[in-house]
Amino acid sequence: MADLLVKDLTVEYTTGDYVVRPIDRLEISAPNGHLVLLLGPSGCGKTTLLSCLAGILSPTAGSIMVGDREISGLTGQELTDYRRHGVGIVFQAFNLIASLSALENVEAPMWLGGTGRREAKQRAGELIARVGLEDRGHHKPGQLSGGRQQRVAIARALVHDPPLLLADEPTAHLDYIQVESGLQLLRELAAPGRVVVVATHGERMIPLADQVVELAPKFLEAREPERVELAPGEVLFNQGDRSALVYVVESGEIEIFKVRGDHTEERVVLRHAGEHFGELGPLLGLPRSASARAVTATVLTGYGVADFRERFGGDIQVGAALQSHPA
Amino acid sequence: MWLISLRDLVYRRRRFVIAIIGTAAVFAMALVLAGMAAGFRVEAERTQNGIGADAWVVPSGVPGPWTNFRTMPASLAAAVAAEPGVRAAAPLIHLRQSVHEGSKLIDVNVFGHRIGGLGEPAAAQGRVERHPGQVLVDSKLGVHVGDTVVIGRWRFTVTGVVHGMTATSGIPTVWMPLQDAQTMGFGGQPLTTAIITKGVPKRLPPGLTLVSNAAALDDGLRPLQSGIQSISSSKTFLWVIAAIIIGAVVYLSTLERVRDFAVLKAVGASSRDLFLGLAAQSVVIALVAAALAVVLAQLMAPLFPLTIAIPWSAYAALPVVALVVGTLASLVGLRKAVTVDPALAFGAN
Repeated sequence: MADLLVKDLTVEYTTGDYVVRPIDRLEISAPNGHLVLLLGPSGCGKTTLLSCLAGILSPTAGSIMVGDREISGLTGQELTDYRRHGVGIVFQAFNLIASLSALENVEAPMWLGGTGRREAKQRAGELIARVGLEDRGHHKPGQLSGGRQQRVAIARALVHDPPLLLADEPTAHLDYIQVESGLQLLRELAAPGRVVVVATHGERMIPLADQVVELAPKFLEAREPERVELAPGEVLFNQGDRSALVYVVESGEIEIFKVRGDHTEERVVLRHAGEHFGELGPLLGLPRSASARAVTATVLTGYGVADFRERFGGDIQVGAALQSHPA
Repeated sequence: MWLISLRDLVYRRRRFVIAIIGTAAVFAMALVLAGMAAGFRVEAERTQNGIGADAWVVPSGVPGPWTNFRTMPASLAAAVAAEPGVRAAAPLIHLRQSVHEGSKLIDVNVFGHRIGGLGEPAAAQGRVERHPGQVLVDSKLGVHVGDTVVIGRWRFTVTGVVHGMTATSGIPTVWMPLQDAQTMGFGGQPLTTAIITKGVPKRLPPGLTLVSNAAALDDGLRPLQSGIQSISSSKTFLWVIAAIIIGAVVYLSTLERVRDFAVLKAVGASSRDLFLGLAAQSVVIALVAAALAVVLAQLMAPLFPLTIAIPWSAYAALPVVALVVGTLASLVGLRKAVTVDPALAFGAN
């Protein structure tokens, strides 16, 4: 039985000068036979999560179990074996090798795994036929439509009959007819013995999924304002945290600062009584891009996005917000 | 992985064909240079063999007959001939002169010998000279039987032509009677620069030194050693250039295939797999270029005025050189390939 179990997964890395945490204490549990949808906009961590599931990126904390195998700590030959036999990947741009025919693209992972050429050719032929391309096996990717390229990519991902199949934005380069057949194929592949994980920013796949994981939760629902009192030096929220509240300073002073890759701090702005901050994260469903800390004894009120809009009026202009109100 | 790389070679064949042709030209030039370096010895051997001596006798203190400008009495040949081990001995004069061809001067090696005696080569056309005022010349001089040549300030009639008897970088030889050479070089005095023998003398009259054929050859090549070494060094530079050509093309190809490498790594290719793939491409380019170079070298050799004698060892070494060059060239793209982050495969195009 191939299950997928993600526990307390956190990924943090330095990009440019700053520390980014696209995945924070994520939990996923999917039995085999399920199609799991990773839903969220660009930058929310879908590709990061897929990279972790593929054994390409090591998480900062947490664990990933595929069946009874812990993959987050794999190294060396065990990791190579997992990438070859434990997971199949359908990349967003298909990423077929242009110099190889459709059949050879499917054979390639088997060549790398040491499978004999005759056996690889036979297996590739079976898979190409399974995805309905038996008459196009000798075509190069440049001679195939987007939908056919996707099917070759799916066939390649199934070469070792992996217990985990990952698909990154499978509808990105397809017209609506190709989308239909592609999604149908993915749905069929989520059969007993395999978990299929699909990352997408569009919601049209939701009806096909057995489980939907929203990586960028929406915080638009109404909620009661929260009063927060901070002592000097006390941190309100950290860079990378997810929160639903926009804060208004009632009294005191709040320092907004970013933590650099070398763990030094860079002050962005000070907020005083009557000023607000922290609307972009809840509004866009993104993690906090900076940290907030009280400079003096401070009292704040935290509002939900809808409540904040209603009380303080007008649509929040994101451009102006980015310039003047970070985090 | 090697199959994936070979498919890529075919897919991007235009640039790889250009690289193969460029590398083949470089390898061919290296072969020609090897032939040029060997040619100095080959021409010297050919000329020396044409003289047919078993040994050479020169004044004491002189390293050999080709770089010697000291003279000795020609009559010493009789004394040498009387020594045990010698069946025959004769004087042989070696001079450097110039032939006037209109306003042009052509350097020649002049050999003065006893008419009908030792040191007389066989004529390929016409006959050997029989009287003063007659010469036998190498075909490189570009004259024919019956022509008149002016050597120094003397006029001679060409009675015969030999082929391939040049020395010291393609300088043609001229054979003339001993007296004519003594007139030209010593004002008519009965002197000689060397005595050649049939049989090897076991002892010599005082004041004379025995020089073997091998030592005579080395004597003739000694002034050319720095030139020969420079040619050999140039050969090594050419191999480096070949590696640079292949390395540049493979590196450019690697840059274009970064996403391919990311995908291959994501599906389980190791860094070793990627290196072997790059090495396979580079080695194939180098080996095909080496094969083409063998043909090109044959076409290029006649274009040079020197003797080009490409030794078999150069041909045998070429595939080995190609293997080494190809492998080293693949290292240029190796770092780029192995450091590719497989997560790149998840990016959009």
